[in-house]
Amino acid sequence: MEKYFTRMGDGEGIWMTKEEIKEDVLKGMETAVLKGKSQPLESDEIDRLIEILTMPEKNVSVERGHEGITTFDAGTLKLCVRQAIPIDRSTAVLIHERVLCSETMELCNTDYSYKAIKNIAAEEAMAMEHAQMSCILPLFYGAMPNMGLYTKPDGPVDNWSELLPSGQIKEAMTAQEEAAKLCIKDMIYVGSALAEAGACGIQFDTSGASGDADAFAALSAAKVLSEKYPDLSIIIGMANEFNLGMHGKLTFEGERLAGQYPAKQVKSAEAAGAHNFGVVINTNSSRSFAWNLARSLTYVKEATRVAEIPVIVNVGMGVGGIPLTNTSPTDATTRVAKTMLELGKADGL
Amino acid sequence: MSEEMDKQALLDEAFDSIIEADELRAMEVITKAEASGFSLEELLRDGFSTAMRELGDRFASGEVFLPELIFTSEVMKNVAATIDSKLDTGEVKKKGVMVIGTVAGDVHDIGKGIVASLVKTSGVQVYDLGREVPAEEFVAKAIEYNADFIGSSALLTTTMTEQKRIEELLEAEGIKSEFKTIVGGAPVTQRWADKIGANQYCEDASDTVNYVVKILNTETKMI
Repeated sequence: MEKYFTRMGDGEGIWMTKEEIKEDVLKGMETAVLKGKSQPLESDEIDRLIEILTMPEKNVSVERGHEGITTFDAGTLKLCVRQAIPIDRSTAVLIHERVLCSETMELCNTDYSYKAIKNIAAEEAMAMEHAQMSCILPLFYGAMPNMGLYTKPDGPVDNWSELLPSGQIKEAMTAQEEAAKLCIKDMIYVGSALAEAGACGIQFDTSGASGDADAFAALSAAKVLSEKYPDLSIIIGMANEFNLGMHGKLTFEGERLAGQYPAKQVKSAEAAGAHNFGVVINTNSSRSFAWNLARSLTYVKEATRVAEIPVIVNVGMGVGGIPLTNTSPTDATTRVAKTMLELGKADGL
Repeated sequence: MSEEMDKQALLDEAFDSIIEADELRAMEVITKAEASGFSLEELLRDGFSTAMRELGDRFASGEVFLPELIFTSEVMKNVAATIDSKLDTGEVKKKGVMVIGTVAGDVHDIGKGIVASLVKTSGVQVYDLGREVPAEEFVAKAIEYNADFIGSSALLTTTMTEQKRIEELLEAEGIKSEFKTIVGGAPVTQRWADKIGANQYCEDASDTVNYVVKILNTETKMI
């Protein structure tokens, strides 16, 4: 029986038969249906996904007419920091615009948290002005809410990750509420400074990384900024396919945030006045690429089905079905891109 | 038939009392079971504990949240203690001790904290060593606390090698067989566990609880 080269979620190359791939596709899809209450993929979509997974080409591409926009969160970290190429951030923006053909781009700081940036907001504003002088693409500014930074010893608030295991539930909930208030204040301050320096948009990256209160903080800050600057584009990018219930009771615009899957996350983002939603589905290292991609696709399709704002799929290391490796293999990344744009109806990557 | 129905009604009531975190109701079920001569061990195993497993599954799928789970685990702890005190037997299941931490160089501790919380709910004594814990400290604390399990979490491909160091240190000390080592974290897999000689890879908190309980249920000690 013919076998096809594919991968595990940790990037290891493996060979599977079409039947094995189909079995994993169905199992991955069922997980998203069961947990995220997503609608299952149609049979023709399943067939097409299997076809994409078993295409003989090493790299694949979208069919004409299915192109999507591309953008980069943690944008100026990619070349200047992670690849250690000694260029300034404005040059990195231009390389993305003129060499990598990115439609939009994010200017950001190495210390990728709003709390850290508030101390250097004036310098970041200058960097934004400088970059905007030479680039054409819509340039965003972005960072993470990273609410954990407000806990002791880094901040003033007790650590809920320590309080919860010791049974101090009320104290843990109060600590999260206090941290959220501080986080919202910092995000509004930095967001306002960068908006007034000419940023085309503000991104809240990896929202919900510290749980539902972290997501609450990002949504709350987004709401204030979207009302304060009606022309400012707001992007909310998530940390996970569901909001971890570290608090459990927080609501935003009447909806409980804990346990929200992408289809509900995007509705909360809309309620916050966001203009773009960055969906994130984490890759499971122990499952096959087929399982991971089918699961991610099912979540994405459900989110794009209900969304009224553009949905941009996070397709980097360890998300969107892409294996968790330091350098993402292009056989996997191109298949994810094709699948998300053609079948997931995503607006971009 | 009627006896079977009564038994099932008691189990259902025990199950519901935990799902609703209703300690008063749980204690009433124990009293009822005692009065009708129903096995308290069975009530614990098939009623109360089944509900905790159900809650663990609901937590894994995002239907139940950490504060609720921890609150319920306090109820469960009291239920288990009450039943333990009423059981007239010298043989009880070993409770178990676990040391857990995020490995050196890694500050990601939310997942580790959730695992620690859930393992506690199964009655295991958990010592959370925190984050950025050197391999030497995992081993030293496991010896100090007479641990049964050593749980290490790594969220980065660059820090997961610390888990290998724990195994190497245990081997070098000649005490590898005294502990069950559990590895977890986003880049970690069973293949990695096999490669470094860890006893088990656990995908998430529920998986860890299931493994720990399975191991403890196969080991009993006399008190």
